[in-house]
Amino acid sequence: MKSLRRFFNRVVNSAARREHDDRLKEEIAEHIALQTEENLRAGLAPVEARRQAMLKFGGVEAIKQDYRAERGLLFIENLVGDLRSAARAIYRMPGLAAVIILSLAIGIGVNTTIFSWIQLIRFEPMPAVRGASNFLVVEPHSETGGYPGASWLEYRDLQKQVPALRDIVASEMVPFNVGEKGQTERVFGQLVSGNYFSALGLQPTIGRFIRPEEAERPGTEPVLVISYDYWQTRFSGAPGAVGQKVRVNERELTVVGVAPRNFQGTSPPLKFELWVPATLTPALLAGVRDLDDRTSRAFSLIGMLRPGATREEAQAQFTAAMAQFAHDYPEASSGIGGEILSFWQSPRGPQRLLMSGLAILQAVMLLLLLAVCGNTANLMLARGSTRQREMAVRVALGAGRWRIISLVLSENMLLAFLGAGLGAAFAVWGTTALRVAPLIGAFPIQFQTRVDEFTLVFAMLLGAGCGLIFSAAPALHLARLDPQDGLRSSPNTPPRSRARRVLMGTEVGLAMVVLIAAALFLQSFRAASQTDPRFRPEGVLLASYDLRGRNPDDASEREFAARLLERLRALPDVEAAAIATNVPLDLHGIPVRSFTVEGRVRTEAGQDRAITNTVTPGYFKVMAIPLLEGTDFADMRDKAAPAQAIVNEEFVGKYLNGAKAIGRRLQTRNANFTIAGVARNSVYAAFGEPAQPAIYLSYRDRPASEGEIHLRTRSGNETALASEARAVLRDLDPMLPLYDVRTFSQHIERNLYLRRIPARMFAVLGPLLLGLAAIGIYAVVSYAVARRTREIGVRLTFGATSQRVVLQIILENLGAIASGTAVGWLLALLISLHAIPNGDFDVPAFVGVPAILLGVATLACWIPAWRASRIDPMAALRHE
Amino acid sequence: MKQKTDVLQGTLALMVLKTLDVLGPLHGYGIARRIEQISGDLLAVNQGTLYPVLLKLEQEGAVASEWGTSENNRRARFYRLTPEGRKQLQAETQGWEQTAAIIGRFFDVRAEDLP
Repeated sequence: MKSLRRFFNRVVNSAARREHDDRLKEEIAEHIALQTEENLRAGLAPVEARRQAMLKFGGVEAIKQDYRAERGLLFIENLVGDLRSAARAIYRMPGLAAVIILSLAIGIGVNTTIFSWIQLIRFEPMPAVRGASNFLVVEPHSETGGYPGASWLEYRDLQKQVPALRDIVASEMVPFNVGEKGQTERVFGQLVSGNYFSALGLQPTIGRFIRPEEAERPGTEPVLVISYDYWQTRFSGAPGAVGQKVRVNERELTVVGVAPRNFQGTSPPLKFELWVPATLTPALLAGVRDLDDRTSRAFSLIGMLRPGATREEAQAQFTAAMAQFAHDYPEASSGIGGEILSFWQSPRGPQRLLMSGLAILQAVMLLLLLAVCGNTANLMLARGSTRQREMAVRVALGAGRWRIISLVLSENMLLAFLGAGLGAAFAVWGTTALRVAPLIGAFPIQFQTRVDEFTLVFAMLLGAGCGLIFSAAPALHLARLDPQDGLRSSPNTPPRSRARRVLMGTEVGLAMVVLIAAALFLQSFRAASQTDPRFRPEGVLLASYDLRGRNPDDASEREFAARLLERLRALPDVEAAAIATNVPLDLHGIPVRSFTVEGRVRTEAGQDRAITNTVTPGYFKVMAIPLLEGTDFADMRDKAAPAQAIVNEEFVGKYLNGAKAIGRRLQTRNANFTIAGVARNSVYAAFGEPAQPAIYLSYRDRPASEGEIHLRTRSGNETALASEARAVLRDLDPMLPLYDVRTFSQHIERNLYLRRIPARMFAVLGPLLLGLAAIGIYAVVSYAVARRTREIGVRLTFGATSQRVVLQIILENLGAIASGTAVGWLLALLISLHAIPNGDFDVPAFVGVPAILLGVATLACWIPAWRASRIDPMAALRHE
Repeated sequence: MKQKTDVLQGTLALMVLKTLDVLGPLHGYGIARRIEQISGDLLAVNQGTLYPVLLKLEQEGAVASEWGTSENNRRARFYRLTPEGRKQLQAETQGWEQTAAIIGRFFDVRAEDLP
């Protein structure tokens, strides 16, 4: 109670500071006057009487200090004062402050951006869905390692048999053709279970969501929920959108509601626009028997734990259910178990891949930030030393050690927080750039990264951490100062600069690590993009079509492809044309299937597997992949020829030991094929992959509803073919859109996109870091040189040549730099050996980077040294 | 270091309260003189330390102060005991007497007196 009142009074007093100072002054004056009178009465001389009175009173300043401490909130008053003087100090060194704040801002901005990205994937994987990271992925997991997805019937059973999970939600990604004849567009949507929106806890922007009973029996209500963006762009956000009819895959569906803003579906970062009850599958996708066929594993399942249930229970129930399915429906479920995973570990979408990449990137960037801190510490230390005398005066006047430390700390913290603030602004820009980043691949993708309170806290914590790190050295240095020493020593005495040297070495070492990492990264990226894919992507245009929803059968699919090719080949600018189900170097990979081949006996357990692609005749011509043996596939309309396959060199080498392949029988996808030719190896899944065995099947034998058209141009300008190809397709089928039109080079670019982001970051940050290191070295050396002006003057007077002086200064500092470089080099080597176990020793990175770094460091030493050697010796001696 | 000051401050505060209790309203110099007379050396140097103590007591509400005129017709700050201060004095006096009695007994006891 008492202390509370005292505290309250202190707060009030802090506000009325001046008034109280006057009161104390007056009381002291009165006290001393009374004592002086007393002393006079005792017979002392007037001057002596006053002197004695003052002696008896004690140190006025100390008492004032005590009095203030008692009266107000000294801590806060000091803080405000410190901040004010810190602001003044920063204002007086605009150049230095700008370098520090900007370098911190870049470091913090980059880190915050990456953090917000990680945070998005890990903690807010589904934008607009609250607590989305609590969702678990329920994934059937086949023995061969794949995640095949769940069938609809399996989903219905699992809802009952895994009670530990509530509201399991099923969804299937589908590309829809939306619109009227002749002007359809391809829009991605999800076929969803009836509980989809309620389980996600969403509220419609307008209208309503799909009702559970609407996804109960096949062929029920033809309803549709659209995304907020789709509502805005296609209906201009009009409330009348609800109730409108939209033609989806040639069926009229009624829009019943609009999903919340930012909601993009349950497979982020994929972005969906439409949601349709899964029970409309047969109506929308003719011929697809997803709803009653257990072998059709088209659905992805997610669910949340029921309160009180554990993940282990859910896993056990799921495993038991899958085992029962394997027993009950062996043809559909044998060899398929189940895994329950955290949402961010979902095997679908690039989350997993991104997570590890981002974690590495974050680590490297934190290292960069540490280097920035080292740099700043160095600059502040150099500056702090010039303030030795100021600090000595403060100590002599009675400032405590903590006051000195808090003074230095507040100055540095102010700098750090200014840097963090600017960094947060950079992060806002960075996350916005990520949001609107171009779409990757054929699928619409969006990362809804943003700066929120967590990211801001992260940025500020980084700022505070940086501030503490780079204040530590100068604060300790100044606090240890002996006031007498500080006052006496003229700034010409050589300083004890070990701390600065160590920092300089550390910083250069860190720069070394990051620069080598950057070099290795760029190197691998360049290697990837410059590797010969062993086919010729230049001059090839790619475009996709999709006949699903046309109720196609094998014959109509084959006929469509044959007619399309005839028409395309008739175009004057087309040199060759082909259709394939898969395109090499696709971001989503290329299927690998098991097979058996005549003449091959497998000794170990398991199955032989090879990449498979189904292509039309002419494919090898378009791709410029030579056939080493045999012939191309038979004509599309040839009904007499047997089912054919073409294999690649690696297949022959690996599975046939180089024996003759032509004429052998091969069995895959439940059918027999005769090998008709051998094609040269080429790149399939990724640049730099080891040679992969591959099987090509013919479209004639295995027609598909989807196709990737490959067109090789005669003129070299493949983009010009796009409109002609579109016209041809519209002629054949006005309702069918041609989508994902891109050149093969663009297609490859997309594949490299994910690698390109960090590569670009490194490309920008590498030179930046080099610049930072150079500034740091320059600051230290020029400061040290300035302190030794007199010594240099003396040496010049006694006949030292200026070259000698320069050389000596450089050598002195190069020692620290070289040892830092060596440590950093070793560290980088260890990291690279760990990260790339079988990688070659990268000469340019491990020799070139140190050379450049040492060159820049030497230059940064040389400039101030050279400047010092040019001073007039007489002026130097008179200095001060 | 700090503890010693605290003890000194506590003692000083009690002396101030007692002084005001006995002599009625007084200015700072008067309190200092009185304490000096009674305690001898305690305030021989650093009379100034009294003022932070006075302020502390005022902020706790044990004393109140107002401007008045001193014996030689100068403006001076007079401190007086509040009812709350009186209560505090009583409580602390009791505490002191108890402590002093206990300590005193300790000092009186000799080894041969122990059972």
